[in-house]
Amino acid sequence: MKINVEYLKRFVACGLEDGALRELLAGLGLGTEEVLQVGGETVLDLETTPNRPDWLSHYGVAREIAAKDPGLRFTPMDLAAVDLGAPGDGFAIHIEDPADCRRYSGCIVRDLAVRESPPDVQKLLVSLGLRPINDVVDASNLVMMTCGQPLHIFDLERLRGGQVRVRRARAGEALRLLDERDVTLDGGHLLIADGERPLALAGVMGGLDSGITPATRHVFIESACFDPVVIRLGARSLGLKTDASHRFERGMDAEATLPALRMALRLLSRSQGRALKPSFFQDAYPRPQSRPAIRLEKDFPARFTGMDISAADAAAVLQRLGFALRDDGAAWQVTSPSHRVDAECREDLVEEIARVLGYDRLQGEMPLTANPVLRVDEARPRLQRLKARLAAAGFQEVINYVFQSPEENRLAGAEERPLALKNPLGRDFSVMKNSLVPGLLRNTAANADQGCDRVALFEIGNAFADEAGRVVERRRLALSAYGQEQRPDWRLAGREFDLAWLKTELAALAGLLRLEFAFRAAAHPLFRPGACFRVDCGGRPGGWCGEVAAAASGLHKLERPVFAAELDLEALLAGSGERRFQPWNRFPAARRDFTFRMARARSFQELDDAIAGLRPAALESYELTDVYQGPGLPADQVSLSLSFTYRAAERTLTGEEVNEAHRGFTGRLAAQLGLIQR
Amino acid sequence: MIDELRKEIEEARRSFVHELEGVPSPETLAALRERFLGRKKGRVSLLLARLRECAAAERPLAGQAVNELKAFVEEALAAAPARAAAPAGEWRDPSLPPSRLPAGGEHLIAAIQRRIEDIFLQLGYEIARGPEVELEDYNFTKLNIPAHHPARDEQDTFFLEGHDEMVLRTHTSPMQVRYMLEHRPPLKIISPGKAFRKDDPDATHSPCFHQVEALLVDRGVRFSHLKGTLEAFCRSFYGPDIVLRFRPGYFPFTEPSAEVDISCFLCRGRQDRAATPDPACRVCKGSGWLEILGSGMVHPQVLRNCGIDPEEYSGFALGMGIERVAMVKYGVPDLRLLYENDLRLLGQFG
Repeated sequence: MKINVEYLKRFVACGLEDGALRELLAGLGLGTEEVLQVGGETVLDLETTPNRPDWLSHYGVAREIAAKDPGLRFTPMDLAAVDLGAPGDGFAIHIEDPADCRRYSGCIVRDLAVRESPPDVQKLLVSLGLRPINDVVDASNLVMMTCGQPLHIFDLERLRGGQVRVRRARAGEALRLLDERDVTLDGGHLLIADGERPLALAGVMGGLDSGITPATRHVFIESACFDPVVIRLGARSLGLKTDASHRFERGMDAEATLPALRMALRLLSRSQGRALKPSFFQDAYPRPQSRPAIRLEKDFPARFTGMDISAADAAAVLQRLGFALRDDGAAWQVTSPSHRVDAECREDLVEEIARVLGYDRLQGEMPLTANPVLRVDEARPRLQRLKARLAAAGFQEVINYVFQSPEENRLAGAEERPLALKNPLGRDFSVMKNSLVPGLLRNTAANADQGCDRVALFEIGNAFADEAGRVVERRRLALSAYGQEQRPDWRLAGREFDLAWLKTELAALAGLLRLEFAFRAAAHPLFRPGACFRVDCGGRPGGWCGEVAAAASGLHKLERPVFAAELDLEALLAGSGERRFQPWNRFPAARRDFTFRMARARSFQELDDAIAGLRPAALESYELTDVYQGPGLPADQVSLSLSFTYRAAERTLTGEEVNEAHRGFTGRLAAQLGLIQR
Repeated sequence: MIDELRKEIEEARRSFVHELEGVPSPETLAALRERFLGRKKGRVSLLLARLRECAAAERPLAGQAVNELKAFVEEALAAAPARAAAPAGEWRDPSLPPSRLPAGGEHLIAAIQRRIEDIFLQLGYEIARGPEVELEDYNFTKLNIPAHHPARDEQDTFFLEGHDEMVLRTHTSPMQVRYMLEHRPPLKIISPGKAFRKDDPDATHSPCFHQVEALLVDRGVRFSHLKGTLEAFCRSFYGPDIVLRFRPGYFPFTEPSAEVDISCFLCRGRQDRAATPDPACRVCKGSGWLEILGSGMVHPQVLRNCGIDPEEYSGFALGMGIERVAMVKYGVPDLRLLYENDLRLLGQFG
């Protein structure tokens, strides 16, 4: 809201310099967005809030200043002498539904000669960012800027049937607006119509046909108070936002219509050079508003704020703001002034008192409130450990938007019902992501393009799905690795990322959280067939890992392979529950190695499965210690070495027992998989 | 037995390697040879002698292991004189630079969020998390922002196809609604997380951003408690000499409401300079104040909407944008940089 400081001071005689004035307004909640100098005058562009439509005028701001300083008074224009006249024959105002229009005041002024406004009015309007048009239009604009009330002035000779009607549009009714746009209306739009047709979109914009032209002789001036929601919905449905609709949708003062009409007459009288008297005047006010009193306990302002506020101070502030107080013993019954459409409860009044007395009076104190049972978040330190481990392994956390492109969603599998935004910022951000990996691929490509040869990333965020009509979001941890795991230097050999490295990192992560991951060969559209694993956590599916499929990495023209994983974070953080001490086996363990050749067509997983099926009771654990391929081996075979650990729960096994168990077990294993012992 | 032997072999190998490192002359080299390969008392010979103790079946394996050790020692001793004789020897320079191992880290936003959470946790708050796709009712209506309220204009909202009652939450406040609906006062929570508004990305706007909000509801909670809590937080987070300024503000879900500024931690952060801002300050641009958060007393209608009687209880709520902190406290000049995920930025923090 633009406020001309010099004009403002006509309504409140404060002698503050501009800087001090800005400070005072800021203390009242009116921040200054910009200070402008227009034609040698200072104009403040104030930031107003939607709850205070009364601030959208010079009067509103002047009232605030006067309330702040008990030595000042708000002095509106003296309009007592302006005579609105009386209802005449031959014209009438009809409000079809008082819910849509609380008050409609109008008058007819005849025999005008439309001309330029006086230079000072033009200058004032220019300073407020408005273009002077002619004295009639300018008068309505200046009234709005002065007291906040939007007016509309019609060319009377374009009105048919001797009436204006405030009514809803009929479906299909058309109107050409002042900005020459043609709009087609329906029952959601409120109209000002004459006896035959729509004239104006009520509270939003006038019609071109009934607008003021240089040839206009007689005018009908409208000063009304419309329902905020009707105006807002009507304007929005047409994509319109005007100074008038902005005010009406925030709620206007129904008591302001008559003073605004008088002000318009006064301005027009000046530009026309004679005292104008309406030939017709009507004030349609079907249900005069009465606002319920708010009960305010006298000690409540001090009690609720902790500020040192006496009852007398509180009462004085409210009265200076125009509230009426009736003493009710321990409380006041407070009635709001009509322009304060926002004040509804005692807390609203407290804010008024505190803000006018000054928030700088507020002294901080610590509340003593404590949660009676403090629920300690166990998952949080686990998450921090997990992140620290990832950071130590060289993964950098990233954060992406929660929405991405449909193409990116399709990388993680066709969805029956993708969760699409109704009003996305663009196609690239139009669906809620079903996987975090595509975002990591995008980040990987961006960093690789900048010459980064090691891009290892992780992200923690939600993946979304529509499950049976319900929006489900799941917290995930996604990782990706691209390029060089280790740069070669004078000491260390260079190493590229590979799938084994990623699986090792995942296993380390699981170990850190005292979980066990099992990697099961699987298929997932994000990953290359044959290089894709389901990650089971505690026996339950907990995510995926693998080498990213060519289709996915190709989307960003990544030349080298990307290795990635996406895990169910809640499963990781939930952990394996409360643990209790487990005594360990104190009997000695015996190790036996087993080195053999295996057909390349087989996989370690087959071996692992076979061991699980054949394992003797005394086999405690085993590990893969070597893989050899190359000279000395048939081309279709590889050599593997396993190291088995045997131990019994209740006694020491003899060497013979171990040997027997080992021999029998490895023999069966070899037979089952066609292994050749070396 | 064989396991024990293996252990001893391994130990012998280690001590040999260790001693070889320290051998400076041919004489000591000869002594080393004697100690390990000596016919009678050499360690290798002694280990060979112990093979007899092994079970017959284990003997070949054990023998192979001892022989491997012998071969290793012989080979190393053979190579040693040449190494010692070479004029420069192996160039060993302890001043060589360390290898560079990769270092990852936390995203700046996550790191800031964690720091803010830590402070409130120490003040006894609990963390409450909620969904990012939220009921419109919780995001707006229960927070005293009815349909068609102009305040909705200030929070341009993303809607979902086919889920008319859902929105992408425009703030983390709906978590407060959820918590109040499910718990009885006293309540003392923070709700951190992502929020979304339909803003085109620019230097100060992002369609996806992060907030931390705090809510405290109890009997007798006053506006001054809000200020005290914020002072405690800001002095912990921004610096012990920070001064707060409350300005009247408007949020539909609080009454009274306050916008909160802190004295610039750069040019007024130290007590001795607290009075006057530096006109050239790059953080506060000379104003001496930084806008950091919004707050207020929970609106009685919000309490009622969440089943709490405002005659009995009162509360305060506060909320801050984490991206704003990244700009103000860490000097990130453009919000978009935080979502580009360029390692050159991310590597500077976290």
